[in-house]
Amino acid sequence: MEKVVGELKQLEELLVQCSRCGTCQSVCPLYKKDRQESSVARGKMYLLDALVEGQIKKADEIYKYLDYCVLCGRCKNNCPSGVKTDEIFLRARGILRQVKKLPAWQKLALKVAMGQPKLLAAMSPLFHIGLRAGASKVDDGVFKPMGLFRPLIGAMADRHVIDMPAEPFTKKYGGFNQAQNEKMRVIFYPGCAVTLIYTGWGEAIVETLLHYGVSVYVPEVNQCCGIPSATMGEMGLYKKQIGVNFDYFDSIKDAEYILTCCPTCEYGLGATAERESGRQRGKQMMDIIVFMAEVLKGDYPKDIPLEGRTTLHIPCHYNHAKDSVLKEFIKEHFDTEYADLKNDGCCGFGGTFSLKNYAHTKEISALKAKEVEERGYKNLFTACPGCAMNLTDATLTAETAVQASHPVVEMYRRRIKKNP
Amino acid sequence: MIAKSVLEKFKGIVGEQNYWDSPADLALYSFDSSVEKPAQPEVVVRPESTEQVAQICKLCNDNSIPLVTRGSGTNLAGGTIPVTGGCVLLMTKLNKILEINVKDMYAVVQAGVITADFAAAVLEKGLFYPPDPGSQKMSTLGGNVAENAGGLRGLKYGVTKDYVMGVTFCDMEGNIVKGGGKTVKLCTGYNLTGLMCQSEGTLGVMTEFVLKLVPPPKASKAMLVSFDSIMDAGNTVSGIITNHVLPCTLELMDNFTIKTVEEATGAGLPVDAAALLLIEVDGHPAQVEDDYQTVLKVCRENNGAVKVANTSEEKEKLWEGRRKSLSSLARLRPTLVLEDATVPRTKIPDILVALEEIRQKYNVTIGTFGHAGDGNLHPTFLCDKRDVEEMARVHKAVDELFAAALRLDGTCSGEHGIGIAKAKYMVDEVGEGTINYMKQIKKGIDAKNLLNPTKMGL
Repeated sequence: MEKVVGELKQLEELLVQCSRCGTCQSVCPLYKKDRQESSVARGKMYLLDALVEGQIKKADEIYKYLDYCVLCGRCKNNCPSGVKTDEIFLRARGILRQVKKLPAWQKLALKVAMGQPKLLAAMSPLFHIGLRAGASKVDDGVFKPMGLFRPLIGAMADRHVIDMPAEPFTKKYGGFNQAQNEKMRVIFYPGCAVTLIYTGWGEAIVETLLHYGVSVYVPEVNQCCGIPSATMGEMGLYKKQIGVNFDYFDSIKDAEYILTCCPTCEYGLGATAERESGRQRGKQMMDIIVFMAEVLKGDYPKDIPLEGRTTLHIPCHYNHAKDSVLKEFIKEHFDTEYADLKNDGCCGFGGTFSLKNYAHTKEISALKAKEVEERGYKNLFTACPGCAMNLTDATLTAETAVQASHPVVEMYRRRIKKNP
Repeated sequence: MIAKSVLEKFKGIVGEQNYWDSPADLALYSFDSSVEKPAQPEVVVRPESTEQVAQICKLCNDNSIPLVTRGSGTNLAGGTIPVTGGCVLLMTKLNKILEINVKDMYAVVQAGVITADFAAAVLEKGLFYPPDPGSQKMSTLGGNVAENAGGLRGLKYGVTKDYVMGVTFCDMEGNIVKGGGKTVKLCTGYNLTGLMCQSEGTLGVMTEFVLKLVPPPKASKAMLVSFDSIMDAGNTVSGIITNHVLPCTLELMDNFTIKTVEEATGAGLPVDAAALLLIEVDGHPAQVEDDYQTVLKVCRENNGAVKVANTSEEKEKLWEGRRKSLSSLARLRPTLVLEDATVPRTKIPDILVALEEIRQKYNVTIGTFGHAGDGNLHPTFLCDKRDVEEMARVHKAVDELFAAALRLDGTCSGEHGIGIAKAKYMVDEVGEGTINYMKQIKKGIDAKNLLNPTKMGL
């Protein structure tokens, strides 16, 4: 306990910045739902303070409060005092892990996902078969597990899941993909979701890049960005994953950019990774749309027709300085009536958060689905596979047949693909 | 210490999901946005109806348990710190807008509704709820009424109390009490609505309000005026008021704040200016033009350089700097002591002189911004709560600031309330007789002094 308090004291300079103004309440997806201090950054930081100052005696008692956080970062982005809440929470979870051990099932899940990416990819066909066997198809490419899994996965049995293709994305695209009339070379970091689930997103992105003369390196085996371990307080594992990924990036000498379509991967391998590992990534990492709009500047198709009104969910970890680039990309290339979502908050997914707290996730995403339904949107874009999965679950739960999709995917499927 | 059997009764009233008594949960309700010392309650409950609130009040009364009502806990004077322990009653689940009556222009709301959510809902119906406290995105309407919260529009549109037509609250015997109502004119019995406004939770637990709504202004014009001397800015404020123009907003930033905001945001503010005024006039288009010409004349007479916002984007840019004042100051030092000494508006120049003397005397860092138009300034002391010597200087400087405000016929609180932070200044402002009268009222309603005890020195 003394050791834990001693390590938490090292966070003092970060914690003291919080003036307890409560601005975080106005943007926290969990506070908006729960309306209690334990949900929001101000309360969590007060608890860390109270532990350090001896007001609270048992460190393990506050872990559950720190763990109950989507880590969307909206509190940090909106904090008047500039408190680095995400850094505080990740580090504090890591420190408190010493007294609050990870449950066995989470440990096993991490061990497989982090340590055995080849095995995970090789198991794709099994997932594919298993999913279909134990679930019913409810929409194009979407299944819902049937009751037989309920004893094992509880409320998650109610979740709509995206079909897992028989082959991982890396099987077809792993390695070097040479473009004709090559202009430049990039690395595409697919992340776990694109590797195993949204393989179509990966295909669309790589083929679009090739179409515009960009050769693409794709890892033969996708190594997780490490964020799941970090959010579970396993900072050692996180640092290990950073190392593996940075080694791969360093090994590719002739690519200028690392592209991704998952803002959380970008976040996990971005400034946070450099801070926690002490290593420099050496190459600029950016979102695929930002790259297309600001670096590649290709002659992309315009006026792609979309039936009905269109809206966009901006992922929490998206580089928000580029929100307008994302919106403009949609408006410029699609012929549709576009409007921002009024509810511009988190979708409630948060990766491992959703696995542990699906009922809470569902309450948050239902608000988004309700707006999609009430305002009659027929197209819902987002720029993150995790958000897409979660929003699709929410809209199908609300019986609104609107699956979330990525703008580049729609551009590729509707215009660039040779035989659409 | 509350008996276990009584704790079970609390749980019985609100249900397991709205009841907390673990050390960590109690710690979460031991503080608010002030820099005052935290204090732990013994139980936290979150009722979901007025009837449950009444039952909790009675339970506390029967068992002599102090009762502190709390909304979002954004108050700045320690008003929701449970100094003597007891029960924290959380109002955040009483958060429904029950009615927005467009024809009669009023709304009925529960106390836990977030202010900005309410204002947005009203605007969607084509009406306007003017009070706009700085914390409006988080604060609850109940807290606004209990503290009589103000905001940027106070000069022209008034503050929260000017919009409360009726109130429903619970007393300590568990009675449900109603004051005021839905009519514009109403003179039935005591003005309980007026009594409850800014009572800081010491006279009852408010659960529901009837709030006045007004038509939104048809036109507006905003401008940023820079000055080489802060006294010129102060005199401009006095000049505008004595010329009988009431801008909807008349905000001041001193040079320290301007430079800090500019460094933090690059908003394009004139860093050489000794002070800035942000002025907006609104109303009927013809009146707006007329007021604008008068403001222009006064600004020029006081050496102000006027930049008018011609489009909504330009207007938005002008306000960006003001909105970023507090956040930019907050990044400089770990602790902010944000005060709200208020003087009659023509005495703004005098309080600015006093502030400069205090700053020099105590060697403290102060960024000053605020609602100069209604005399409500927010001198913000930048410090570090871990530095005992510095905090002692800050506290002395704050004491002198309030003494100066009172000397100038001002008040210790324009919009933040008294809480525990300013209880010691009460007698200087209102006198012993007034304090005794307040104590008598409280004693009559709350004989055991259980409702938010120690606040306002009661």
